[in-house]
Amino acid sequence: MDTEKETGQKQRNAGLSFLVVILLLLGMIYIAINTGSLNVSMGELYRGLFVEYDQNVATVWDLRFPRIIIASLGGAALSVSGVLFQACMKNPIADPGIIGVSSGASFVAVLIAGLFPSLYFFTPLMAFAGGVIACGLVYLLAFKNGLNPLRVILVGVAVNAVFSGLTQAFNSMTGGNLSGVASIANANISQKTWDDVYIITGYVVLGLVLAWILFYKCDLLSLSDQTARSLGINVTTTRIAVSLVAVVLAAISTAEVGVVSFIGLIVPHIARILVGSGHKRLIPFSALGGAFLLLLADTMGRTIAAPYEISASILLSIVGGPMLIILIRRSDKTYGV
Amino acid sequence: MAYKETNRAGNGAADMPVMQVQDLSFSYDGTVNILEGLNLDIQKGKITVLLGANGCGKSTLFKLMTKNLYPDEGSVLLSGEDIGDMGLKEFARKAAIVHQNNTAPPDLRVETLVGYGRTPYLNAFQTAGTQEDQRAVEWAMQVTNVAKYRSRPVSELSGGQRQRVWIAMALAMTTDILFLDECTAFLDIRYQIGIMQLVRDLNREYGMTIVMILHDVNQAMEYADMLVGMKNGRIIAEGDPQETVTPAFIREIYGIDLPVAEIGGKKFVMAV
Repeated sequence: MDTEKETGQKQRNAGLSFLVVILLLLGMIYIAINTGSLNVSMGELYRGLFVEYDQNVATVWDLRFPRIIIASLGGAALSVSGVLFQACMKNPIADPGIIGVSSGASFVAVLIAGLFPSLYFFTPLMAFAGGVIACGLVYLLAFKNGLNPLRVILVGVAVNAVFSGLTQAFNSMTGGNLSGVASIANANISQKTWDDVYIITGYVVLGLVLAWILFYKCDLLSLSDQTARSLGINVTTTRIAVSLVAVVLAAISTAEVGVVSFIGLIVPHIARILVGSGHKRLIPFSALGGAFLLLLADTMGRTIAAPYEISASILLSIVGGPMLIILIRRSDKTYGV
Repeated sequence: MAYKETNRAGNGAADMPVMQVQDLSFSYDGTVNILEGLNLDIQKGKITVLLGANGCGKSTLFKLMTKNLYPDEGSVLLSGEDIGDMGLKEFARKAAIVHQNNTAPPDLRVETLVGYGRTPYLNAFQTAGTQEDQRAVEWAMQVTNVAKYRSRPVSELSGGQRQRVWIAMALAMTTDILFLDECTAFLDIRYQIGIMQLVRDLNREYGMTIVMILHDVNQAMEYADMLVGMKNGRIIAEGDPQETVTPAFIREIYGIDLPVAEIGGKKFVMAV
């Protein structure tokens, strides 16, 4: 009886956690709208959008809204991508930024932006190809009688180093002033337009829906491979499918916001504490939490040293580094049963 | 409670072996055969124990019988059908396996884990079970005596209780045959006996066919209906354990001399 009460308690806590993260995200969006030289109140915003034209609201709408939407979607995508990689690799440290998937995607995205600017709208697809190459490399090079969590990270670090080196080299070769190239290379979310929003939204929503459909498979992947197989699950196929969705999410967000590490590490970790490790809740909660965190980092980045901007990825690295160390120290406990 | 009664019909002739291993050959590297031309019949409704020294090929045979490896030559038939021709899901509806090393997220609850045993019966996008699924899960938790821990995380249980939960998950698959790989390894003697009693109950009361790898010769003798002794990828003796186990048999498979004593009409190997 006591344990049933406890279960009910846990479910209520999870519900409360969802409510809190939704409120945080909405609050953050409101703050982000009003951060900068122009300020609009709720009332003005409502009138400006739905009733009559308002110069200030129109400016905010064109300049800040795309940035807010892209930061939120990018954060959600990166965070869920982290959840999926962690399920596939049975490794709480797997993050698309750390294991090189994002930098693989960004390198190809940068090549496209620099060499074939007319293919701009295909950038997400090309980034996806880059992500698949990086992810495939990590799996191939790290595989040795199964995927040892630490080996995945070490190989990932190497793959990441190569691709981010190539990206930076290409950026320097173009003089660092091709705006498309530089914005991806430097993970800069500024100067986003509604066109960018249209590019990213469909892919991210598709990726998030696919991820959620796969939640039960992700749960089963957390068992040992042999046991999952004995339940009739083709583990390799499942792992490839889940990885591909993870790459889609990481690549799309990278094509728009650049390489942002650690979101896929920090958010799922906190999410597991709050709503448990079942993916049915973990995936949607991580999406909301990731949206909040990247928007927070981006908004802080443009206020701390205004008028100069610190990119969100730099702020997240500062917080994420220590977090990675904490996770490595705890990692033997996380899949320990 | 009599869950199995509803599931047992239609499994072919009563005397036909439920599983037949035929001329099985296997090598990991394509040159050195681990198993060569191996034949074995698993009798329906019996407990069969595979016994042998480390590296004798019993684990390889176990993997071949459970679709974790594919034979180079020969075949494994389950109820007359080649398991190589079955999909993983189809096989999972017919044979349940409890592997040796199991992992689960630390907050995974017993009931959820046992519920995973219904996976082979779910449709592609279905995740919640039917009443039938619920009934099977409930039955599995009752039989293994873990129902009282249903809401606890698996990681909080003792080693013996945890092993019961993994067995419960396999039982929830409602198969007629159950494979167990060293299911008493790493448990203290009290839990070992508890698990072995459970295995016997599953066999005697629910008519399950059991195939298991054991390292303890005396437990093998006590609980097996059929003992299979292996050495160098071959079966060197099989049959009733009381008749099969002799000092010569022990020397043959383990390469050491151990006395075999008789207490109360039962044989015991003095494994010290």
